[in-house]
Amino acid sequence: MSATTSGAVLNVGAREVTRADVEDFLYREAQLLDEWRLDEWFTMFEPDGRMEVPTTDWAGWDATTAGFFVCDDYDLIRARVKRLKSRKAHAENPHSRTHRMVSNVILLEAGAETVWISANFLIHRYRDGGAYPYVGRYEHVLKVDDDGLRFRVRRSIPVMESMDPGARLSFIL
Amino acid sequence: MKEGGGVMTQQTPVRPLGGADGGALIDEDWEAMRFRVHRSAYRDPGVFRDEIAKIWGHTWLYLGHETEIPNAGDFKTRTLGGRPLIFCRDSAGEVKVFLNACTHRGTILCRHNEGNTKFFQCFYHAWAFSNSGDLAALPGDESYPDDPGFRESMRLRQVPRLQIHEGFVFVAFDPDVPDLLTHLGPAAHYMSLTAKIGAHGMQTLPGVQLYSVKGNWKLAVENAMDGYHFAPTHNTFVGYLRETGFAVTDDDQYAYDLGGGHGLLVLTGHNGRIGMVWEPRFGDEEKARTVAKRNEMIARLGPELAAEIADASRILFVFPNLLLFDLEALTIRQLEPVAADRTDVRAWQFVETGEPESVRALRIKTMVSFVGPGGLATPDDIEAYEAVQRGIVATADSADPAHDWSDMSRGMANEKQGNQGRSIDEGAMRSFWRHWADRVGAATAVAGDPPADPGAPGPSAVLAAGSAATSDAAAPTSGKE
Repeated sequence: MSATTSGAVLNVGAREVTRADVEDFLYREAQLLDEWRLDEWFTMFEPDGRMEVPTTDWAGWDATTAGFFVCDDYDLIRARVKRLKSRKAHAENPHSRTHRMVSNVILLEAGAETVWISANFLIHRYRDGGAYPYVGRYEHVLKVDDDGLRFRVRRSIPVMESMDPGARLSFIL
Repeated sequence: MKEGGGVMTQQTPVRPLGGADGGALIDEDWEAMRFRVHRSAYRDPGVFRDEIAKIWGHTWLYLGHETEIPNAGDFKTRTLGGRPLIFCRDSAGEVKVFLNACTHRGTILCRHNEGNTKFFQCFYHAWAFSNSGDLAALPGDESYPDDPGFRESMRLRQVPRLQIHEGFVFVAFDPDVPDLLTHLGPAAHYMSLTAKIGAHGMQTLPGVQLYSVKGNWKLAVENAMDGYHFAPTHNTFVGYLRETGFAVTDDDQYAYDLGGGHGLLVLTGHNGRIGMVWEPRFGDEEKARTVAKRNEMIARLGPELAAEIADASRILFVFPNLLLFDLEALTIRQLEPVAADRTDVRAWQFVETGEPESVRALRIKTMVSFVGPGGLATPDDIEAYEAVQRGIVATADSADPAHDWSDMSRGMANEKQGNQGRSIDEGAMRSFWRHWADRVGAATAVAGDPPADPGAPGPSAVLAAGSAATSDAAAPTSGKE
């Protein structure tokens, strides 16, 4: 782990990552997802990036020891994007309206080429007359390179006790 | 709906049909080849109350799997038919199921979802019970009768019946239900097939999918027994499989009425099976392992049983609340009705004990890519339940009584001829609904002559293989009453 100058900056190799860098990355992602610009969103992953949504009883298990809501490798993320763009993704045709708030961004730790971050999210989803709040936190491992940040592991951890009636995960949490 | 309308087997039409006025909820016509269910069966709070009272109150219910509580003192809490329960293993290692309510004033005794404990202590007045149900601490007991009978009367209440088949724990709130194996009938054999996959047994994993749908519980049963929906509803998933090199087909796949409301789909063309039937998305390492795994199964079980277990996928419905998905990998799904228009769903990954980490990872990734509220397929099923629940309001009450029915006629002519129903017909749904009507006392109108032979209670290969079904069903059940 590299030296930390403050909670707002981490050194990853020769590069400096600030909290503002991470916030910009997360805000851009929130915008792309709320606007259903899924092809652009997919470019935010590095090749071999992963995406996980643990279940609500999650106690730190990895995807070799427990069930998950979502446990996508890169190919499955691509398949998910393709599906969600299809008119035949019935659960998202018409699309849900989503509205994402991201806050409490913390730079947790730096690796040789990655930064580990956490943030809180509140996503409101609306469809068919129903309103569904999804509350949780992100714990991401972001690859740092000259182009900026990319997802190596994108993990959305719900804090709800279960998915409420109608609150499926047919969209990107 | 009226109580005790025991007319379901009547051969002449019962009128009036439908509605809350005691009319038939099932309309079966073997001349017109029509089977339909009155939509109030999904909507009416009175029907829902009857289901909880007459089905959930008087039938074996799937509670959980023994491997959820592997160690002495382990417990889980969950509701069944709305009743809060403690599912635990006592200090002697015995599986116990208690009503989760303090015997003193009825307070929820254990407010945790899971854990390990020797004692359950009520926070309200500090009464404490051992994990075998004894009243272990009674604060200020000098003010209670000096009589061991008093403490005995305040033991935790156990569910009246508890039996375990292949690690699947069932309970009943009615002490007079028949033996579990009698209830399961041929379904016991199919549970045994799944239980035999692992050389070192099978187990549930943590990471339980808990979600809730805005739909009647019977829509989830229908959906699981309905191969007809697969191609249109799961168009995007079928497309994904095609891109990975697997072509889905519905040809030569069948549905079975196992009696007692239980149903079975046997599927050979929807997916591969990890460790048993390879498909390209499983990768090359798994291809070699599949060969080795089949050899292991043949050595352990013989070629016929190994083939029966491995060659086909199965979706088993055990009336009223258990769905066992033995597909690419395995998921146990439990349905918990909450209201006429709301169902809580719980789903566990079910895996081979002791399998390599890489296989476990493949299994979890593959299974949750299909099933569950975050999969690439189940959300479209949920959309279907919820869209039906919203749509059936259209014909409700006096608006359009003649059309307030849902049709499940597909394949009746085939059934009439005595042919085995295809997975893409609706025969497994019809047999479910007939049993349902019998259990809740809903009237059924039957016109014309139903087929004489109700069909095979499972794939004919099983029956031809001889005694496998009965010997399996009898042996592995440990009766723990």
